[in-house]
Amino acid sequence: VKLCVPPSGFIRKLPLHSIELKDITIIIIMSKEARPSWDSPMQFVLACVSYAVGLGNVWRFPYLCQMHGGGGFLIPYLLMLILEGIPLFCMELAIGQKMRLGSIGAWTAISPYLGGLGIASVVTSMYLCLYYNVINAWSFWYLFHSFQSVLPWAECPVNANRTGYLEECEVASPTQYFFYRETLNISSSIDENGGLHMGQALCLLLAWIIVYLFIVRGVKSTGVVVYFTATFPYVVLIIYLIRGVTLHGAWNGVKYMFTPKLEQLANPQTWINAATQIFFSLGLGFGSLIAFSSYNHHNNDFEKQAVIISLINSGTSVFASIVTFSIYGFKATFNYESCLERMRLLCLNAFDLSEESISAGNVTEWIHYLNITHPESFAAIASKIEHCSLEAELDTAVEGTGLAFIVYSEAIKNMPLSQLWSVLYFIMLLLLGMGSMLGNVTAIITPLADIKLLAPLRSGLVCLVCLLCLLLGFGFTSRSGNYWFTIFNEYAATLSLLFIVFLEVISVCYVYGLRRFERDIEDMLGHRPNWYWKVMWAVVSPLLLFSLFIFYIINYIQGGTPTYQAWDKDLVRSAIKRKHIY
Amino acid sequence: MLAGVLLLIFLPPLVAKDLCKDSQDGFKVRLSIKTALGDDAYEWNESEMFLFRSTLAYAMRKQTKQDTYNITNILVCNDTQRVSFVFVVTSPGDPDQLIPKEQIEEAVRQNKHRINNAFLLSDMTLEFVGIPPTLAAPIIYDTEPWLIVFGVVIGAVAVGIVALLMSTVSKKRRAKEKAAGLSEEDEGIVKENGTALSGLGGKEGVYNQTFSNDNRFTEL
Repeated sequence: VKLCVPPSGFIRKLPLHSIELKDITIIIIMSKEARPSWDSPMQFVLACVSYAVGLGNVWRFPYLCQMHGGGGFLIPYLLMLILEGIPLFCMELAIGQKMRLGSIGAWTAISPYLGGLGIASVVTSMYLCLYYNVINAWSFWYLFHSFQSVLPWAECPVNANRTGYLEECEVASPTQYFFYRETLNISSSIDENGGLHMGQALCLLLAWIIVYLFIVRGVKSTGVVVYFTATFPYVVLIIYLIRGVTLHGAWNGVKYMFTPKLEQLANPQTWINAATQIFFSLGLGFGSLIAFSSYNHHNNDFEKQAVIISLINSGTSVFASIVTFSIYGFKATFNYESCLERMRLLCLNAFDLSEESISAGNVTEWIHYLNITHPESFAAIASKIEHCSLEAELDTAVEGTGLAFIVYSEAIKNMPLSQLWSVLYFIMLLLLGMGSMLGNVTAIITPLADIKLLAPLRSGLVCLVCLLCLLLGFGFTSRSGNYWFTIFNEYAATLSLLFIVFLEVISVCYVYGLRRFERDIEDMLGHRPNWYWKVMWAVVSPLLLFSLFIFYIINYIQGGTPTYQAWDKDLVRSAIKRKHIY
Repeated sequence: MLAGVLLLIFLPPLVAKDLCKDSQDGFKVRLSIKTALGDDAYEWNESEMFLFRSTLAYAMRKQTKQDTYNITNILVCNDTQRVSFVFVVTSPGDPDQLIPKEQIEEAVRQNKHRINNAFLLSDMTLEFVGIPPTLAAPIIYDTEPWLIVFGVVIGAVAVGIVALLMSTVSKKRRAKEKAAGLSEEDEGIVKENGTALSGLGGKEGVYNQTFSNDNRFTEL
């Protein structure tokens, strides 16, 4: 019988007085480089939750809910969770826990020809790290600017001779002005680089230093940090839920969200968006899950944990969208009532009526009446008359950075005690972003540190990766940085991830062999996976992934020249520009 | 005779009304008392109009630095239910001559704050049509507040880095001490027992070739 020896084992000298020859039955072999592991399974679960629950849950899911029929969107969403989300998540955890190596080592162990799959994961994680931390930099910027008596995005700055506000800010809104002009100082096209925005560069530096501190000690430091990054966002979400539903007009938004428009289910785009949202929200294919679970004990019950984490992730999406919709409702009601007030004043001033004659409730009737009785004077103000509609306000669906930084900050500035709510909100965004960054950087470091040559240089490797990403990330803090950010956000990870995970599931089921995989799971968990897992892994998930992949390809081909939204300083709104294909 | 006397009595106000109505040098004023004060709103009546005229006279006095302006120099017309009206300012020396628009505008802009406070209103609710309000000057900070918060956070992070470095250094030192301590201990043991272990070189031990590396898994 040959004993199982870790690759670099050797006998450690034991003090002789503790052992007598007749007592020796087993010689304990200790390797100097035992793989570090999580202090408890709870740390692992929290790390995965912190990684999976990210900004997408807050800014993408509510948008999809709104676009695809409100409450009805939950049906395709939950179906896709069962068909592809949970099985693929469980599969990645199983691979990591079995191979006890990062993505490159794990796939190489399955088959030497599959090492490229691991490398693809690492490269995709690298792309993501480059641009994702810029969002954290923006969150820092907004957080630091919340410590003022008047929030800087609440009012427009005054112009030179103090007779009015800056024109760019008047035409847009103060929140849009603050984001595009003061935060980004955005140029008008991707070709005009401009210089670096020093404030952004400083915030990015801070973000990377913090990521470095969290990662540098590996699982020991990450394991402690995730207790906070995984749980505190929920505290903030609950506080915001209570604040949100008590706001005036919040109920309009929540009602709007939950009235299902079931006809949207007939639209194939709904199902595709549900599938892609589940897929990207769980963070599959980056190698982070493989990296995290490679630090698990051999017998950790990853199957149960996979189900729990996926459900927590989806539950958080739904929860965050309730909060978002109550905020939407508040903002829409506020804008609608401001519109009515403006129209009321317009009529009062033009016709010199007493203030009590028109109230907010009968503005529209008065407008009709005045149009009929005084057509000439009415014609003079006709150009300024706006049609105020609550539904139109609620229909403005926003996603992405626009939702997080413009719409939310607009709602916050109208709340009482806005500084407090602003600080809480941006701390939550930061924790969500940092939690995801931990997973992404771990996905790069773990496979590289597994390479024998680089293993002793782990802390130097962490420093090098962070420094490299910081220097390259400075490009996103230039004046055209937001355009580059949009390109990376849309193209860097999407198609390649679908391809990577498709190959992953095919490799596990058909190259490694489903039976062998079942035996490995039995070895780890003590029981074989039941028919649900096997059917999903072997048939359903690959089919789904393949069809998504084909759909994306067709979309790219049919899309023509890619375009992007550029901020036009003169017209003060976003205009569509063409991207140059180099 | 009687007609002449009547004409003389009624002429000044008629002329005054004409001065106010037809002039180019007048400003329209609009007050939104109910919007500003809600339930605490006061009635707009002759006394309030009197107060308005006197504050304007005050503004003219301050701006021209002449104490000759009086309430009779402020003429008001076109009263509406909105609580809006037009006013003109006549020169104290010559009641038929109007003060030009620019001077009135200057006077109002400089004293808007006092006029607002007299009526418990603000720039939004007491409007002079054609005179834009002077907005509050932007606050100029010596150090931007966001830089202060940034400094605090990055200071805390720097403390974290220093703590990290110190713990790494102390860990290395402890490992070195332990290794040195172990080798001394071994020397003692070897001296006590005098076994062949003393022949082993190096404090880290020797790689034992008995255990081979080829097969990671047990064959049984």
